[in-house]
Amino acid sequence: MSNHDTALDRRDFVALSSALGLAAFVAPGCASTVVSGADEPKPLKVALIGCGGRGSGAANQALKADKGVILWAVADAFPDRMDACLKQFDKHPAKDRVQVPAERRFAGFDGYKKAIASGVDAVLLCSAPHFRPMHLAESVAAGKHIFCEKPMFVDAPGYRSVCESVKAARAKNLNLVSGFCWRRSAPERATFAELEKGTLGSVMAMYGCYYTGPLGTKKREQGWSDMEFQVRNWQHFNWLSGDQLVEQAVHSIDKINWAFRNEPPASAVGMGGRQLREPIPERGDVYDHFAVVYEWADGRRAFLNCRQEPDCYFENTDWIAGTKGQCFINGWGPTHWMKDPAGKVLWEYPADGPKPDMYQAEHDELFRAIRAGTVINDGDWMVTSNMMAVLGRMAAYSGQKVTWEQACASQESLSPPQYIMGPLEMPVEKKPGQYKVT
Amino acid sequence: MTQQLPADTSRRSFLGAGGAAAAAAFAAPIVLTSCRATPSTAGARLGPALSGGRELTVGVIGCGGRGGGAAFDALKAGPKVRIVALGDVFEERVRGVAAGLARAQPDRGTVPDSRQFHGFDAYRKVLATDCDIVVLATAPGFRPAHYAAAIDAGKHVFFEKPVAVDPSGVRTVLEASARAAERRLCVVTGTQRRHERCYLEAMALVQDGAIGRPIAAACYWNQGGLWHKDPDPKLSEMENQVRNWLYHTWLSGDHIVEQHVHNIDVVNWAMGGPPVRCVATGGRQARTEPIFGAINDHFSVHYEYEGDRLCASMCRQQEGTDGRVDEVIHGTEGTLLTSSGRAEIRGRFRWTFAGDNPNPYVQEHVDLQEAVRGNAPYLNEGKRIAESTMTAILGRMAAYTGKDLSFAAALADPMDLVPKDPKPGPGVMQTVAIPGMA
Repeated sequence: MSNHDTALDRRDFVALSSALGLAAFVAPGCASTVVSGADEPKPLKVALIGCGGRGSGAANQALKADKGVILWAVADAFPDRMDACLKQFDKHPAKDRVQVPAERRFAGFDGYKKAIASGVDAVLLCSAPHFRPMHLAESVAAGKHIFCEKPMFVDAPGYRSVCESVKAARAKNLNLVSGFCWRRSAPERATFAELEKGTLGSVMAMYGCYYTGPLGTKKREQGWSDMEFQVRNWQHFNWLSGDQLVEQAVHSIDKINWAFRNEPPASAVGMGGRQLREPIPERGDVYDHFAVVYEWADGRRAFLNCRQEPDCYFENTDWIAGTKGQCFINGWGPTHWMKDPAGKVLWEYPADGPKPDMYQAEHDELFRAIRAGTVINDGDWMVTSNMMAVLGRMAAYSGQKVTWEQACASQESLSPPQYIMGPLEMPVEKKPGQYKVT
Repeated sequence: MTQQLPADTSRRSFLGAGGAAAAAAFAAPIVLTSCRATPSTAGARLGPALSGGRELTVGVIGCGGRGGGAAFDALKAGPKVRIVALGDVFEERVRGVAAGLARAQPDRGTVPDSRQFHGFDAYRKVLATDCDIVVLATAPGFRPAHYAAAIDAGKHVFFEKPVAVDPSGVRTVLEASARAAERRLCVVTGTQRRHERCYLEAMALVQDGAIGRPIAAACYWNQGGLWHKDPDPKLSEMENQVRNWLYHTWLSGDHIVEQHVHNIDVVNWAMGGPPVRCVATGGRQARTEPIFGAINDHFSVHYEYEGDRLCASMCRQQEGTDGRVDEVIHGTEGTLLTSSGRAEIRGRFRWTFAGDNPNPYVQEHVDLQEAVRGNAPYLNEGKRIAESTMTAILGRMAAYTGKDLSFAAALADPMDLVPKDPKPGPGVMQTVAIPGMA
């Protein structure tokens, strides 16, 4: 626990790199590129759905992953987002493979259908999380290979929909790679492989934290409908993002799920709130901090604290207690070690060990599998990680102890009455003790 | 040693397997539990007080629910005890407790009018009487000053938890406790779990290695709301704050200090002392009406103990939410689960507390009185409860500020929330703590 370096905020990093265009290309650790065997690889056409910072980053990584990748179509709720995204590729080394004329830029809530139907091989699903289940279902139905950003859903109906899509993707031998990036980070893979080997004995408890600053907001512009205002500020609306726990701290929850071998917890107790109390509508209804305790039937536990508050202490680390010692993970450090109870080092990731860019690795592996005709399907564990986050939010919002079964069977849908750019009620923050899980 | 033991081994056979030292310890649990950081148990006698020895006289400072309860508990501890003086800020409080005592215990509980004191300086008048022991049970903000004055007046002390609300107060208590030790004045505090048989037996087992090395922990005090008092227009703001003291940090320390200190104290007990640092979140999400002052309604703290060991602490006071008050200690070979009246060890060695569990609120007075009479070893819990109080204050400071705080730095902090000469008049202003702004 000696390393308390400020964690890089992943979204800021992506947004910044995208804004700078080439920066991501020349950044250290971004050098790996999968080259297919032939000089003129068979084209792999890709549609990008959701053209924000993360979508731009994913498109960049897909282009770098395989010389045959062609960005063929894009979709976003807003035309200006698509144009701004594509403009970043004007001076891109792979700009010749960015082939998205105006007629393959699909705006609106149903643009994704047209992008998926535009003759592509693969899709990059990077919109606001609320829309992911429908985008995923459509992509699987159309037989596309998929990069699916986290989170994959924001509520229990979304969970059930994504579970169906995962099954269907498997039946159709489609690649489904999730945006849980730590799963493709070399030091984390080595750490969890060591854990699986039993170096730490049995895992009893895990503590994760994701203390970071607030996400940006967009002031309402003239002519924006209620719906447009909310979708453009999607991080700050529970129905769109799933709240901080589901949208961001889910990365830490995914590592908990990894350590607990994809066995869902029996229940969760949680708390949280909006302590910054900013009286601005851009801040929507989301909390600025959460704390969750997950409990398994056999008595194992995991604890998560997260925060998006400015000028506070930042840390994004994990800590595991096993029957043979402790493990500390600071992915950003990077620092990864295991010690016995007396403090003797049992294992550590070598300081000079490889640390390839994990966001790039997601796309390298996806396109390598597509080329090789093999299948990656992250579905089973990605839905568990995501649903654990939804469970934690339900527990925090309600103040109830919520079971896994109760959360998975929840009938509460966060969907708006209709998907049109028009009037939409402003959601109100949840008060524990008043809001109930249904 | 525990590896050879079959499941459901009784405590007796576990200790028997542990050899002569442990067997001897079983014959006299008190010796067993007195090791290392648990001075509180050094004098613990798990049974009714011996009637031998001189009569003891008790003065009570603070006649609220706890002060009145402590007066009765002191009388229940043994027949040779009398209540001889009462004091409180408010006259009706003193009269109320006096009437209750006179009615229930006319022979030993009748306090003459001349020894019933009220006002902000009532404590000085109680200390000026010839009582042997004082019970300090006012709002916690006053405790350090009352405690220091009691030690300087040569009194043995029973002081309720928490014993301070800020680092200055903790330092006062530490200094006064050292003076008490020099003068052989006995000090017991109201963390009654330290005097509860199920806890004492469990901790004895833990210190004998029944769960291996304690490596991770969790503790909770989640509940609904608590009482509040509407302002009395005839009283000054200061007096109204004192009447409604739970909701003012300068008086209660906030609920993490006022209430959750019990569970934090148990974790410190198992871990062998206070933590080295913590990071925390918290807020005021559901209980937001002005009558509830400016305190938070939830906290989540991740404490770090020496040797990279973590504890997740959670506390909540929100109406209509699920309750939970307990402690969990994960060791390398098992897990200890405790709550009032209950203790259980799961793991290689299995044990469930069974048998008589004498009322710990009475037992703490038995232990104090026997130590004062010299029937049990000298007993001074001052430093230990100062450290546990400081642990809770550390969590509050970290949650209020959003900063990463070390125990040592927080203990040295000049923060002093309590007016030097409290009297009827203006109160102490407080605003809701916004992390990053403090």
